[in-house]
Amino acid sequence: MRLLASKLSGKVIQNVNSTYAGGGVAEILSRMLPLFSQLGVDARWSVIKGNEEFFQVTKKIHNALHGRGGPLSPQEISLFKETSQKNIEEINLSGDILFIHDPQPIALVERKKEIGKKWIWRCHVDVSQPIEPVWNFLEPWVTQYDASVFSAPAFSRPLPIRQFLISPSIDPLSDKNRELPQEMIEDVLSKYGVPNDKPLIVQISRFDYLKDPVGVITAFKLVKRSIDCRLVLAGGTATDDPESNTVLAEVKEKAGNDPDIHILLIPPGSDLEINALQRAATVVLQKSLKEGFGLTVSEALWKAKPVVASAVGGIPLQVKNKSTGLLSHGIEGTAFAIRQILTNPEYAKWLGENGREHVRHNFLITRHLKEYLLLFISLDHSEDVIYLS
Amino acid sequence: MNWSDVVFPLIAFMAGLIVTWWLRRRAYKAMFRWAERTEWKGDDILVAATRVPSILWCIILSALLAVEVSTLSHIWKTRAINGLWTLFIISLALSVVNVASGFIAYYGDRYKASQRAIIISNNIVRIVVFVLVVLGLLDVWGAPTAVLLIAIALAVLILVLSLREALPNLFAGLQLNARGRIKIGDYIKLETGEEGYVKEIDWANTHIEALGGGIVSIPNRKIVQGTVINYGRQLKQAREPFHFFGRAHLKELTGLKASNLRELVDILKTVPDSVVYYHTHNFIEEHHYLTPEPANDFSVWVSDALDDDILGERLAAIDTFEFTSLAALKDRLVSIIEEDLGQAAQHLHGHREAPEGREFNFIKSISVIVPTNYIVHDLREFLEALQVISLSSLYFHIFEARLRLGKGQNDFSAWLESSLDEKELAQDVARLDPYNYTLEGLRSLLIQLIEKRVK
Repeated sequence: MRLLASKLSGKVIQNVNSTYAGGGVAEILSRMLPLFSQLGVDARWSVIKGNEEFFQVTKKIHNALHGRGGPLSPQEISLFKETSQKNIEEINLSGDILFIHDPQPIALVERKKEIGKKWIWRCHVDVSQPIEPVWNFLEPWVTQYDASVFSAPAFSRPLPIRQFLISPSIDPLSDKNRELPQEMIEDVLSKYGVPNDKPLIVQISRFDYLKDPVGVITAFKLVKRSIDCRLVLAGGTATDDPESNTVLAEVKEKAGNDPDIHILLIPPGSDLEINALQRAATVVLQKSLKEGFGLTVSEALWKAKPVVASAVGGIPLQVKNKSTGLLSHGIEGTAFAIRQILTNPEYAKWLGENGREHVRHNFLITRHLKEYLLLFISLDHSEDVIYLS
Repeated sequence: MNWSDVVFPLIAFMAGLIVTWWLRRRAYKAMFRWAERTEWKGDDILVAATRVPSILWCIILSALLAVEVSTLSHIWKTRAINGLWTLFIISLALSVVNVASGFIAYYGDRYKASQRAIIISNNIVRIVVFVLVVLGLLDVWGAPTAVLLIAIALAVLILVLSLREALPNLFAGLQLNARGRIKIGDYIKLETGEEGYVKEIDWANTHIEALGGGIVSIPNRKIVQGTVINYGRQLKQAREPFHFFGRAHLKELTGLKASNLRELVDILKTVPDSVVYYHTHNFIEEHHYLTPEPANDFSVWVSDALDDDILGERLAAIDTFEFTSLAALKDRLVSIIEEDLGQAAQHLHGHREAPEGREFNFIKSISVIVPTNYIVHDLREFLEALQVISLSSLYFHIFEARLRLGKGQNDFSAWLESSLDEKELAQDVARLDPYNYTLEGLRSLLIQLIEKRVK
């Protein structure tokens, strides 16, 4: 990596996004920039400015790219353009490579004609099935970039510019992933009233129809017919998602009075608790109906847990069926996979160990960092095999 | 003066000379025979260094006898005896220095000691002899030696204290030279990991040339006290050194997607080799810690997304190792799929569409090749490098060089054959089907093959 980094000597990488705090992009940048610095790469970070209304519009754009909501109103379009223009005029773009994250600062590329340089659009969003008018609104900017980056093959769409595939990553030293002493795990279980007396099946995700928590309970009940075990459904309700309370009510109803089903409402930022629950699990589930990249799967795999997950979104990149976990396509399949793991501890251990190795090689922040270095280097090369001296 | 005052000492001198001369001749005859019988060169040095001075010693002894029988006054007699003893001590000291220099030169050459070590040893001997001569002469002439002895003791103490770090290394260096366990040109490896060819053993350090060319200086004490593996002589040098390269790769999306078999094969025909390479080697790169399934992405997709296990199996059964070009591999993939499409048309059952979101995405592999610091010149260096290079480097030279770069064989085999004339070993390495092993497993196998040859 140092060798690759040395090839960027003298170049300034300028990251631009919409916020220094909150959200996945800010989190990954705050972890990555010190690593770039350690490698001797001059990577900087700037944010665009905007008022609350502007960020409401960008939130709407974000949802629309995910295929949710509707088109932008003329007022919203006008507000986005005005704020973008202001940022174009005010922001100091001194980098040799401008690395623009997500749609909020996308219009900054208009400065390309004036200042030149290399421009990359890093799309952290699944834009495979967007609300078309919103995508059509953004596309003229997207096509001005030299390259784009997507997190999974399925998240991209046909574009006339180069598209690179760089998966997101986890930081093994963060609170969510670092090693925990057994006492801390026991303390968290005890705090949430979960006895550690039976095999524990755990799904960590917010209460959302797309995470299929009701389906998880149905699968659990199928498993329980033959194997005594517990289920933990842990997550939060999103304030910007009115549906989540309805989902939570349905989940509670479905769980009934079963003392082996634990529905835990975890406040945001409870990274250590989530870590502990994953580490306490015998099997980790991710039975989503639709998923983004689904990095919670990598988090569980990193803890060497056998994972049963749906083959949606970015999950198949993380779980290679029967090698690093088990993929399922329905409730019965999920129950069958859980039973396979609970009744075959050696197999479960093998899957877990493979899963951890898979994450070690493919989904840690170091791999992410290396691919960013390669991306910056490849901007100056059009060939498929690049020789560096 | 009486005539007898001259004649008796002269007779005593002549008699002494005859006796000592006769004894010297006998002694040297015996020493010559002894020297001829043995292969040890030390006796030759001893004889050569004392042969001429021994004549002087015969004269001095005879003169001592003459003085003893002479009628000189006590004072003159004492002065004459002291003068003769002075002459004897100086000539003996010169002989000792000559003998010691001869031994140092002999053993220095035998154990390939550095010139610097030889000079230092000679100087040490000269200083010690000089000090002893001074002490001896002072004693002969009746001068007080106590002050000088104290001064010498103090000087030695100060020297020992100031050299307390260096002395153990010095003695260890002498030990190394004396035992001959490690010689210049040997390839050694320490338990602490340092390894390389011994270039020099001086009074403090052993200098080895590490892999990659750097010189590492190891304190002699560390070598004497630690565990050292000595692999011995230097092996045959390659005509061209082997330079290990590292490889990293980036995935570039082509934007092309297939939802069914017809689309898959139509797009496959048009995509560049980099796409074929990615989809036939991606599994190895991402799952190199597992025994690679003989599967490619096409086979996995056909089985999982199109639910066609029979075609999936046929595609999985393609032996990538058979091919030396990506174009030929692509042709095989295309022909198998087209054959299947033809049969499907015959039986009118068609082919399924992949579920939404599970289309086949064509991805291109972008390789970035970087030189590493590992440059090897012989089999032993090659073996050592194989143990430490990254898996990406191993992958590059075995998989990528052979198929993607179109060399037809892996880089290791090519080098072994063309630069080292190791044809048999090159064939053994070339015969290894790397697709059947994990990368670590492959590394172990290669190491075993090379080790067998080196030993």
